Formats: sequence, structure tokens, C-alpha cells
Amino acid sequence: MSQTAVPTSASKVWVFYAFALPFAVLTIVFGLWPIVLSLIVSLTDSATALRPEPRYVGLENYRDVFGDPIFLRSLVSTVIYTVAAVVLNLSFALFYALLLNSTLIGPGRTFLKVAMFLPVVTPDIAGYAVWRWLFDSSFGAINAGLSLLHLPPFGGIASPDTVMIAVLVAELWHHAGFYILIFLANLAICDRALEEAAAIDGANRWQRKFFIVLPQLRPALLINGIYALIQFLKTFTVVVVMTKGGPNGSTNFVSYYAYNLFDQGRYGEATAMASILFFIVAAVALVAYRIGDRGSAR
Amino acid sequence: MKQPLGLRLLAYSVAILVSIFFLYPYWWMLLGAFRPTEAVLTNPLQLWPESLDFSAFESIARVSGVPIWRYIVNSIFITAASTVIGVAITALGAYALTRRPDLLAFKMLRSGFLLTMMYPYMLLVIPVYIVIFKLGLLGTYTGIILFLALGPVQFFLFEQFFRSIPGEIIEAAIVDGASEAQVFLMVVMPVSMPVVATVTIITFLLNWAQWFPVLVISRSPDTYTLPVALLNMTGELGVNFQGIMAIAIITTVPATIVFLIAQRRVMQGMADGSVKG
Repeated sequence: MSQTAVPTSASKVWVFYAFALPFAVLTIVFGLWPIVLSLIVSLTDSATALRPEPRYVGLENYRDVFGDPIFLRSLVSTVIYTVAAVVLNLSFALFYALLLNSTLIGPGRTFLKVAMFLPVVTPDIAGYAVWRWLFDSSFGAINAGLSLLHLPPFGGIASPDTVMIAVLVAELWHHAGFYILIFLANLAICDRALEEAAAIDGANRWQRKFFIVLPQLRPALLINGIYALIQFLKTFTVVVVMTKGGPNGSTNFVSYYAYNLFDQGRYGEATAMASILFFIVAAVALVAYRIGDRGSAR
Repeated sequence: MKQPLGLRLLAYSVAILVSIFFLYPYWWMLLGAFRPTEAVLTNPLQLWPESLDFSAFESIARVSGVPIWRYIVNSIFITAASTVIGVAITALGAYALTRRPDLLAFKMLRSGFLLTMMYPYMLLVIPVYIVIFKLGLLGTYTGIILFLALGPVQFFLFEQFFRSIPGEIIEAAIVDGASEAQVFLMVVMPVSMPVVATVTIITFLLNWAQWFPVLVISRSPDTYTLPVALLNMTGELGVNFQGIMAIAIITTVPATIVFLIAQRRVMQGMADGSVKG
């Protein structure tokens, strides 16, 4: 029915309100109200936050949060992790999507696609629980494999130096399939004729990928970029299952730290942190969107 | 285009290596559950079980004082109920919003919904706890199911599809004297069955994996689902490695089966529902 709505008589409008009512109720009760409430709670004293008449303390919670060295460290590690995860996931996904889409892969493509997407629909808790043990020094297959190859052992989640790498690998396993899928969907609508024309003009395989295919992948790069930024800024489940923020707070990312405060009943600071993270996520998404948008208008 | 054999071999080798990265954890999980713990400790890399040991499944008969079947039933019930309710409510809502995009209230509702979906999910759960507490729904199935009902992918898939239905079909039905309810049930719904199926399967998979809202809204393990039970078990004293792998299997198998049966539909739907956002 596109943008032009089918004309209905004015008296029939109530039918559509009735249709949309349950959807509106759920959106308000479990979406908008909590967001507003979160902002309000972030302005109250934690001990009184859940009482009928909470004590308002202005921006004190925000001041406390920004004066908290643990939070600042948490923010820095969240940003470092996000950048690493976005770069790793998108470059790997782009590379693998190009491979799956190339004429080099023929039979078995469906199997390869199912294999890469299965982890996306596997409950993340189960996937991360398995990875947590794969990295284990006594149970794990990874260190057993390394010693078989006479390589030095990998510290995994036990050492502050390697824990980020372990978490990155586990998250790549769970998320990459989604980004590959989006690249593949974009590749499916790319113009093969352009590539063939370039081949006739003498461009080699890599030149064709870089100069002909990559520019056509701008929409997928934009979508994946925004999704990945949002995804990894709020990294949470993998931390809960694999590291509990450790060792030595090296994976104590913002959403995990906020949840810990919430668990301790420090509602005011927890919601202040939630609001800060929300503004970061929204700002980053907006900037990424603007950059992508300007690029396509050129 | 004929491709050189060497290059094809290289491409397949890389693809197989990457697939091993994706699939090996599943095999290792199966081995971990069915091999005795001592055997795993001596040789974590073994690719075939030396003997089958089912003791893990006895050891997880009760987790956190609650029988395992209760988690299984909770998972099935909560996932099924939230999926059915979510699909129905989202279909009706998205339909109303695409039929009358001119209404100010609907414009605001759509923006509000999008804003909600942008809010970091993990952090939304904190204030949702407070809302659920105020509504007196803490620790109830109703609270969990209603919270899980809405999701962005579902909404975008319905919206996209309803926008693609030609207006003439609806107009013709109205000229023939059909009411709006009849139009929705007898004209729109029959042609929407494929998208309803896609959304149902995707919602099922997404909700089956949910754990955080379930944990936060629950008051006791009585309303936990399988993923939450699994998480709880990793925190319990004493490491029951075999048991953890066994629950991981029970949690993973249903989603895997559903995905394998409907893989084409799921992947197509996930791509369509994400590109629109």
C-alpha cells in the first residue's frame, strides 16, 4: 500500500487505534516508561529510589560516577574493546563473505552458510559457557592443542594480558555470522556485469574486489558498522559467563559494572551509568549514520 | 569463468578451516557431556568418546534445588507464549501503523518504539525491573512473557511486508462492504502467512536464547529458563564440567533443530529485518 494510505472514512479511525492498542501499551510500559524512570532514578538517592517519595539529589550520581576511577577505567576498556571487536568482526566478515560469494566456491555453499550462521542462533549463554571451558588450562582443548604443536600455552581468561583476546574470539564466534549474512545479502544485489567488464579490461582479482565490489558494499558496511558499534559498546553476556569482569577488572565493561551496582542496590549510580552509556551509543550511532549518509550522497 | 584448480583448493581449505572454527565447539560440547570428566582432563583433544558416560544427565536432575524438567517446561512455555503473543501484537500494531501512517499518534508511537529499541537492552532491564516491581509482576510468568513479546526485527519484517501489499486489494474489499477487521483477517492475513511463519520462527529462536530479563524478573529459580539455569550452574560451588556441558546441549539442541529445518527462511528474514532498521 506504499506511502499513500487507502482512504478510510473518519469514523473508522478507531478501528486502527484498537489494532495498535496492545502494541502501544507494551511499547510504553516496557519501553518508554522505563527509560523515563531510569532518567528520574538517576537523579535520586539510591537508598530511597524505590520508595514512593524518593529523595532527589540533582546530578550528584553523575558527579559520583565521573569521579569514580573504576568507572573511568571501565569506560576506557569498553572503548578499546569495542574498537578491536568492530574491526575484527567486520574485516573477518567481509573477507569471508567475499570468499563465500566468489566463483571459487561452488558445491557445499549452503553447508558453509549454515555453519557460519548456526552460532548466531545458538543461545549465547551456552556458546560462551563452552568457550569458557575451551580456554581452560586443564580441561580446555585450546591449550592441549597448543602443547601438541609445541607452542607456548595461551593464558585465556585467567590472565589479564590475554583475557580480551579470549573474549574477542568467543564473541567473534557468536556474532560474525550475522555480519557475514548482511554482507552476503548486499553482495547478492551487486552488479556482476561491472566485475566482468573490469576483468575484460584487465583488472586482476584483487583489483576487481577493491575497486569494483567494495564501493558497492557501502550499505552493508554502514549497517554492519552501526550494529557492531552498538553491539560491542554494550558487551555484557560474554563477561557474565566467561570472566565476571576479571581478572583484575580488565573486562569490567560499563554495562557489567552498571549491573553490579544495580545488584548491590546502588540504583542511582547504576541508572546514571546507563544514561551515560545510552548517550554514548546514540551519539556514536548518529555520527556513524551521518558519515555513511554523506558518503552515499557524494 | 573457469577457475584455476589451485585457487579453488585454497578457497575450500580456508572455508573448511573457518567452518571448523564455527562447528568444533559443538562437537567438543557433546564429547564433554558424554565422556567421563577424568578422561577429558587426561586428553581434552580426543575426537571420539572412548566410552559413553550418561552420569552427567543424572547429576543435573536438580539444579539450584529445582528439577531440570521444570526449566525445560519453563523454557518451552515462556518461549511459546511470548512468541505467539508477540507475533499477534506486532502484526496488528505494524498493520495499523502502515495503514494510517498519517495519524500523529502513530507517528509518535513508531518513533517511541524505535527509541526503545535503540536503548541498550541490558540497561533497559534495570528500569524495567522497577516498572515490573511497581506493577506487582515481579516473579511472575506474565511479567517475563510480556517483556519478551516485542522486538525490532519482528516489527520491521511486518512493516516491510504490509507496505508491499497493493492498496487496490484492500480498496476492493472495502468497496465490497468488508469491515476493517474483516479486511485484516480475510484479505491481509491469508497473503501474510509466509511472513508470519518467518517472524514466528525468528522470534522463537531469539526468545529461546533470552536470559537476562528472565533472571531479573524472576524471584526464585522456579521461573528460570534453561539458559538461566545454565548460568546459575556455572556459579555454583564445585565445578560440574560434565553437567554444564549437558545443560548446554539441552539448551542448544532445540534451537539448532529449528534453525536447520528453517535455515533459508531464518537467514533471509534476519537479513531483511535488519537492513530496514
